[in-house]
Amino acid sequence: MSSKFGVELEVHIASLRRYARALLRNRSDAEDLVQEALTRAVARADTFKAGTNLRAWLFTILHNVHVNQVRSKAARPDEVDVDSVESKLVTPARQEERVELREMMRALDELPEEQRKVLLLVALEGLKYEEVAEMLGVPIGTVMSRLSRAREAVRAKLANEGSVTLRRVK
Amino acid sequence: MNAQRVTDDELHAYVDGQLNPDRRLVVERWLADDSEAAQRAEDYRAQAALLHELFDPVLRESASDPVHDLTEKLRGRVAGNDNVPAWHAKPWVRMAAAVMLVVAGAGGGWMGRSAVGTSPAVQQRQTLQTFAEEATQAHRFYTSDERFQVELNADNQDELNSWLSKRVGRDVFGPNLEKVGFRLIGGRSLPTDLGAGAQYMYVNDANKRVTLFVGAPQAGNPAKFGFTQNGDVATIYWVEGSLAYALAGRLAKEELLGIAEAVFNDVKAGPPRRDPPPQQQQNPQQQPQDQQHPPEQQQNGVQPISDTQKPKDS
Repeated sequence: MSSKFGVELEVHIASLRRYARALLRNRSDAEDLVQEALTRAVARADTFKAGTNLRAWLFTILHNVHVNQVRSKAARPDEVDVDSVESKLVTPARQEERVELREMMRALDELPEEQRKVLLLVALEGLKYEEVAEMLGVPIGTVMSRLSRAREAVRAKLANEGSVTLRRVK
Repeated sequence: MNAQRVTDDELHAYVDGQLNPDRRLVVERWLADDSEAAQRAEDYRAQAALLHELFDPVLRESASDPVHDLTEKLRGRVAGNDNVPAWHAKPWVRMAAAVMLVVAGAGGGWMGRSAVGTSPAVQQRQTLQTFAEEATQAHRFYTSDERFQVELNADNQDELNSWLSKRVGRDVFGPNLEKVGFRLIGGRSLPTDLGAGAQYMYVNDANKRVTLFVGAPQAGNPAKFGFTQNGDVATIYWVEGSLAYALAGRLAKEELLGIAEAVFNDVKAGPPRRDPPPQQQQNPQQQPQDQQHPPEQQQNGVQPISDTQKPKDS
């Protein structure tokens, strides 16, 4: 059993699914994204070198698939408003209980996508800064500045909670 | 004071656990002096905790069928990942993945602050977390002194199981963990938030101990599982059927996970059908009139919860 308890791959895929959901917010879109990424991973499995970073490899594939999806949808940018996004949340019941969760979600929505990605990859998925830089194809300094801006923007919004008006995403 | 000025990047790296170890002390010293920076670090951690709260539930959902099939395909193709047969039950895989990915205890007191308005779902989560904390404390306490580690030893496992089942009010048993090198030494019953709980204690050849805490939650929710780390004691907890389980040990998360898997599988397989002790008559599971049989020592062991009582044997 060279892979730790045989669950390493499942751990990474669970992580991909969580990231996809946080990014797209919609269950079926997220599963579709993961599905497409895995289809490509299976097709290109021979490009994965044993002993290298399986998680980074999978996340990079997912990222590329997502970029392509966004590109092909670019003709028809859909605006989603916060209310309809919230109705699709993972845990609607708990959602109402906690103002902070709602505010966090809203703050996340208001981030530019490039910052949102970095925040999710680092703070939620625990990727290393170098992994994120490589995955996104940007210098590490860019990762750090996006992370910093994202965190400060969220901080300002959470500090401001209560006075938040409904805004459009994007 | 300014000699070792800490950069913004280092503050993030500190929060994310990606800081060079030799800078860690420097950053901590700085945070002790600079309350504004300390607040930022705490806020960043709180953000991460909120993200986990929002999105960790995804880990408890089943993947779609295509994603599941592709996972199996990929497992077969990716080098370095042995083609592991489906030896693990699906819920186990989900649980294992969640245990590895969930950050528990992140945010610390900050998370506790808002745990006031509670829905039943939140309540149950808290109850389970409390259960896990109790398991952790009980582990710490009863592994600290070998003389009091168990109320009833495992010489007669049927007796141990039926006694603890009576205390918990459900059929419980100490799973067989020999596959992972741990031998049952005995158990005790303890009061918990969820009513009486059973603590089973195991030991391996290196004299490492793990304890399995079993209790009956008000309502079973098979999707709940988690991980907490309290000092050097790690605890994995979950609900299976009508029982809650918490496995605690001074072990790395992954090692504990391997043991949790053995517990999970053995619990799934059902209560033991071990050979009855040779000197006794065949005694399948539990005798209807159980009052006749229990030896006196058991009665002594059963009554007190406190450990001032002399253990039956040590």
